Amino acid sequence: MGRDKLKQLGIDLPLFPTTTVGSFPKPDYLLQARAGFLKGEVSLEKLRDLEKKATEFWIGVQEELGIDVVVDGEQYRGDMVAFFAEHLSGFEIGGLVRSYGNRYYRKPIIVSEVEWPGPITVEWWRFAQSLTSKPVKGMLTGPYTIMDWSFNEYYPDRKSACFALAREIRKEVEALIEAGAKIIQIDEPATSVRPEELDMVVESMHIVTDGLPAYFITHICYGDFESIYPSMLRIPVDNFDLEMSNSNLDLLNLFRKYPFSADISFGVIDVHSHKIEDLETVKERIRSALEVLPKENVWIDPDCGLKTRTIDETIAKLKVMLQAVREFRG
Amino acid sequence: MNLILANTGSYPRIGDKPEEQILRKTIAAWERGEKTDSDLRAAENEVTMQVIYEQVAAGLDMVTDGQVRWYDPISHIAGKFEGVEINGLLRFFDTNFYFRQPVISGKIRRKESIVVDEFLFAKAVSPKPVKPVITGPYTLARLSIVNSDHYRELSKLVEDFAIGISEEIKELSKARAEVIQVDEPAILKNPGDFDILKEALLIMNEAKRTSKLALYSYFGDASPLYDMLQELPVDIIGLDLTYGRDLIQVILDRGSQKALGLGLIDGRNTKLENKEEVAKTIERLLPKIKADISYLNPSCGLEFLPRDKAFEKLKNMTEIKKMLFQGEGDGTR
Repeated sequence: MGRDKLKQLGIDLPLFPTTTVGSFPKPDYLLQARAGFLKGEVSLEKLRDLEKKATEFWIGVQEELGIDVVVDGEQYRGDMVAFFAEHLSGFEIGGLVRSYGNRYYRKPIIVSEVEWPGPITVEWWRFAQSLTSKPVKGMLTGPYTIMDWSFNEYYPDRKSACFALAREIRKEVEALIEAGAKIIQIDEPATSVRPEELDMVVESMHIVTDGLPAYFITHICYGDFESIYPSMLRIPVDNFDLEMSNSNLDLLNLFRKYPFSADISFGVIDVHSHKIEDLETVKERIRSALEVLPKENVWIDPDCGLKTRTIDETIAKLKVMLQAVREFRG
Repeated sequence: MNLILANTGSYPRIGDKPEEQILRKTIAAWERGEKTDSDLRAAENEVTMQVIYEQVAAGLDMVTDGQVRWYDPISHIAGKFEGVEINGLLRFFDTNFYFRQPVISGKIRRKESIVVDEFLFAKAVSPKPVKPVITGPYTLARLSIVNSDHYRELSKLVEDFAIGISEEIKELSKARAEVIQVDEPAILKNPGDFDILKEALLIMNEAKRTSKLALYSYFGDASPLYDMLQELPVDIIGLDLTYGRDLIQVILDRGSQKALGLGLIDGRNTKLENKEEVAKTIERLLPKIKADISYLNPSCGLEFLPRDKAFEKLKNMTEIKKMLFQGEGDGTR
């Protein structure tokens, strides 16, 4: 099903296409430059050069590893919501808020009407695609998640904030397609948080994707899938990118009860652990997946973005993943 | 009627000023092995003092220690029980915050005191009364993964957590806590388990001695549970009044036999409450409450807000109280 759409779009992928969820760790020189930029010691031009250098590095890594659908690695982004909030108008960037343990982020505040200012990610997509012959995914954060991860001081309720954002994100999707993107991922990790709001996710994704010629993926993680499955399959995308390993593949039990009807990017690497998975562990995860899911629908990737791991851990983890996939392709 | 301004639980441990970042920096250095355990304790102590002074400066009558030492409200408590291992991250209710999930691997038993030392430190440095807060047995059990035949029924796990928490309550009471707050947010989404919660509170109520026991719930609308909450063996009921207007009407209609913690200040959104509106609501509610004391507090812990906004919210509470009791001295009438 998904494969036909990809073929129509001119993309031919092997069995078990491999990809990653989006972010990669930033090299030290880039972290230093970002800190220096904030202090006014590094120019924007210099920072951009280093972001490009880091993007080239990660495209090179993905090519060398043999990943089929690559990402730009988001070297120019901080937080996945704050990045869009910084670019869309209508937001103010708030103070630090803790997300877990010793990790903090700046939670945006919606203070006036949100508006798309023109392409936000398109130049980066173009740049990444110019470095590789593999398809590069367009990477966006979805309207529901931007709404859920922001404070709202302007819109009367969550739904009107979400739909307003959806209309603006659609413009970015159209711009990516116009630039040539065929595979676009719209992350909605907040989806599983309030099961009673699933319709809001579904409707807003319709606003973002309806009638547009691209293969759409959405990434959803952490939460109570039991309360949104199988109804989450109503979200209008071709591929669901799901965190599986951090929850011991519990989701597979749900898929046994009610078959998964879309393509899936099946997370086989725990991104929150420093430990490099051994080959057998990853193969076992893939084996478990294939007991329940039709093999032509299965993509393989890590659970989530890898930006919190070190570069070495990231590469080591991905190597194991690619090796496991090669053995399954036979 | 006396209206006490109180904090509900957490307070942001980080802010934009360099001195508000010492805990983050110290933890990061400690993880790299560059700081010792005692360096970490010192940073925790310092930030605890900072957040207590901020609450006092905002005008609160009753503060918390801000829970700045807690990794999260679940693992910090459950991790001090035997038979519990701490697992991967899971979202904390419908917030943007994640906690580490406990895995129950065998018979659980409190192995050491949990928040007593934290309370004693806070009490020693605070110019205002400190309210110790602990996550309740029902919520702890509900958010755990059970991997042990010992607990085939949720009620048994809740009971064993309740026994451990009641030991804690006994120690907190001995340490002269005026009010001891137990948080049970999980009950709002699982009203069918109310009897299990009630059993747990019977156990905990026996341990409180001269302290007042407060039961707080948040992240949802408690109106369907309101009558049952009134029946519980607790002295104070804390309610999240930011989820729709129903609950306010329920209190107006049915009154309260118990002291209430009025969670009228949204701990989840930066938008500042309209002071006149909140004051008017309180004015209508107070005559319906048959207790000498009521509490005005945020709907939940304040860690979901940036530090500057958390402070503004608390200051706003002070101004609301001033509006209510203008010309009436210290807020007693």
